Amino acid sequence: MFSELFLPVLMVIFMLIVGGYAVAVLDRLVASALGTSQDGGIWLAPMARGAWLLTQHANATEAPDWRAWRLAPALYLALAAGGLAVVPWSASLVATDLVTSVVLWGSVEALATVVIFLHGWSANSLLALIGGYRYVALGLSYILISMFVLIGVALPAESLQFTQVVASQAELWNVIRQPLGLPLFLIVGLGMTFWGPLNLADSTDLAGGTASEISGPPRLVWDMARAAMLVAFSGVAATAFLGGWLGPWLPGPLWMAIKMLAVLFVLLLLGRLLPRLAPERCVTLMWVVLLPLSFIDLVWAGIGALL
Amino acid sequence: MAVNWLRTLASRRSVPVFPVLGMQGDELLQQLVLSPDIELVDSPRHASVLLVAGEIPADRFEFARRVHDQLPSPFTTLWFRGEPWSHLENATRIDDLDILPTALVTAYSELMEGRRESSPRILPDKPPNPWEGEGDFGQGGEGMMGGVPYGRPMAMNMENDIRDGLTLDSLTFRLGPFFFAFPPGMSAEITLQGDLVQTWQTQLVPYPQSLDPVFFTARERPVPIAEIELARARHHLHRLYRGLHLAGLEGASLSALRLAQNLSTTSTLDGLRRYLSRSGFFRLAAIKGGELGPEQARRIGGPAARAAGLDEDLRSGDAGYRRLGFSPVCQTGGDTCARWWQVLAEIDQSLHLARQAERDDVTTSELGRIETPRGPWCAKRPEDASALFDELLPGLEWGDALATVASLDVAGLADQPVGTRPSGESRAIRGGTGNDV
Repeated sequence: MFSELFLPVLMVIFMLIVGGYAVAVLDRLVASALGTSQDGGIWLAPMARGAWLLTQHANATEAPDWRAWRLAPALYLALAAGGLAVVPWSASLVATDLVTSVVLWGSVEALATVVIFLHGWSANSLLALIGGYRYVALGLSYILISMFVLIGVALPAESLQFTQVVASQAELWNVIRQPLGLPLFLIVGLGMTFWGPLNLADSTDLAGGTASEISGPPRLVWDMARAAMLVAFSGVAATAFLGGWLGPWLPGPLWMAIKMLAVLFVLLLLGRLLPRLAPERCVTLMWVVLLPLSFIDLVWAGIGALL
Repeated sequence: MAVNWLRTLASRRSVPVFPVLGMQGDELLQQLVLSPDIELVDSPRHASVLLVAGEIPADRFEFARRVHDQLPSPFTTLWFRGEPWSHLENATRIDDLDILPTALVTAYSELMEGRRESSPRILPDKPPNPWEGEGDFGQGGEGMMGGVPYGRPMAMNMENDIRDGLTLDSLTFRLGPFFFAFPPGMSAEITLQGDLVQTWQTQLVPYPQSLDPVFFTARERPVPIAEIELARARHHLHRLYRGLHLAGLEGASLSALRLAQNLSTTSTLDGLRRYLSRSGFFRLAAIKGGELGPEQARRIGGPAARAAGLDEDLRSGDAGYRRLGFSPVCQTGGDTCARWWQVLAEIDQSLHLARQAERDDVTTSELGRIETPRGPWCAKRPEDASALFDELLPGLEWGDALATVASLDVAGLADQPVGTRPSGESRAIRGGTGNDV
């Protein structure tokens, strides 16, 4: 009972908290390395910000859809938790080792679109609404690429289970076997988690977009959910392309943590270095360049699996 | 106990400040942005301190009160070089820019630690326009689509789409005059279809902007070209900061500000320009469109006109500049992207001229005709050109529209330089009561 129910839940909660904190610290480390001024100490600042949001009131807007507005950050956090639950830390240490965990991750990506739109729409406010619309307009293009790339890693494993995907990389990691996969998937990650250059939903030109009208605890939950989703994505990327827990000398979970941190670092660095893409150019890039590349990746993976 | 502990921890973060800019209020922003203890935020919902900077003109007073009430509790308000509203008991007024960051930190710490009361709400907690609830569906008027619930038109398609024929519900709204991405003081009524600007009407023009005193001195007596060119480069760097912040390039925007703050004849733009070029700012970011025709370019003048290929610069007629071999730099595109290239080129040119002029000790010679960073100043100062937005922005996506706004220096010139108090044209209401809504 304990190992089947409580242990997985505790594991996911632990990853939500530690992962969210790790993203906040790592992002500040990247920022200070690049010379962007940051508040206070790198280690304390995320906690001070969290405490500030906890002491602040959650504001109201004019006639919001209250239920949806309050629920959306919690739902996004729940989706991130769902994603984290299928990330394997070793052959046996995985919160839920579903035989269809790749499909579950796909559904997390798809449902994120609904939740992010709900967050923007329910505030009944202009800039938040535009943010929500933008995400919906772009979400489909990310998800299609993600699906093709993930089917590519499922082929050599002959399974939709992430633990099997890792096991199939014992001889050769997918990052080498399918060279297009990881770069494509990282771009998907930036889009799906609306981070850095693909942050079109909560962007500066919308004064924070879907989050432009929130304060206090709902904002804390939203920020935590965004960070946790980035961690979940890093976990999936490390699992699908970097051999998950596989590696010499060190224990499996430690290898997994190192690989996840490496993916996170790349995503956060790109987020700090690149300008936000124009939505129109973003759609063109996705459909005209990246989607055909993801077809090629899939064909490449299929031929590799046949040989 | 736990709450106290939380509040103490919360007081350790950088102070989240939302600025409400009055006349000449923006000059302090650059200093605050670089302060590690202050975080300027773009939405009042994300702030705990409201900073009212400069005198708020009478016609923006109501907007300021609405922004005031949008901050989440607990929050406090500071007035910088402006008179606090009389009914706000805890309001603090600061006049000295040097102590402003410390005052903001102190006010925030006191607020978080419970030693300072949260500002009271000054507007009644109800919709500014009551819900009328009339009509068959409670939509606030007659017929299915006839209502103006809350005094605003419903989102519905009244006009055909101007881009691809995909007609979406149009949404009309008013934004400003304290929206961070607009020139200070400007407000507009905008109709969007999806992400596309359908119509744009500038309603309140931006405040007149103040320039460095050296441009005023140059109209009275010769001044060192090194000094005037450094002031010009600094003005452009401040504008570049806004453009890069909007594009999500926080690190680069701060680099531009730091460069402006420490600008000297030995400064160079190479690093920043290389970074912007390599990061894809000119290719990937939303800086498409906003192309000025020759007549529009002439109306605004200055760098925007030169970015559209007009070879006009009053410095060409100045003997001092001719001695330095000056010739205007121009682009051909005339759009937002070309304007940012122009800004970089003009900063580079100014730094180059300043270096040469300092070495050869060259001064200006033309007194009545000055090329300011905003445009030519002959008999008249450059005037407000914000009406251009009404022609230029329809048809652009939201991101491109805001980037166009950031790339155009449309505000007219104030009659006094930076650091002096605004004149009679900007009379402000002092001490509102909160009951006159």
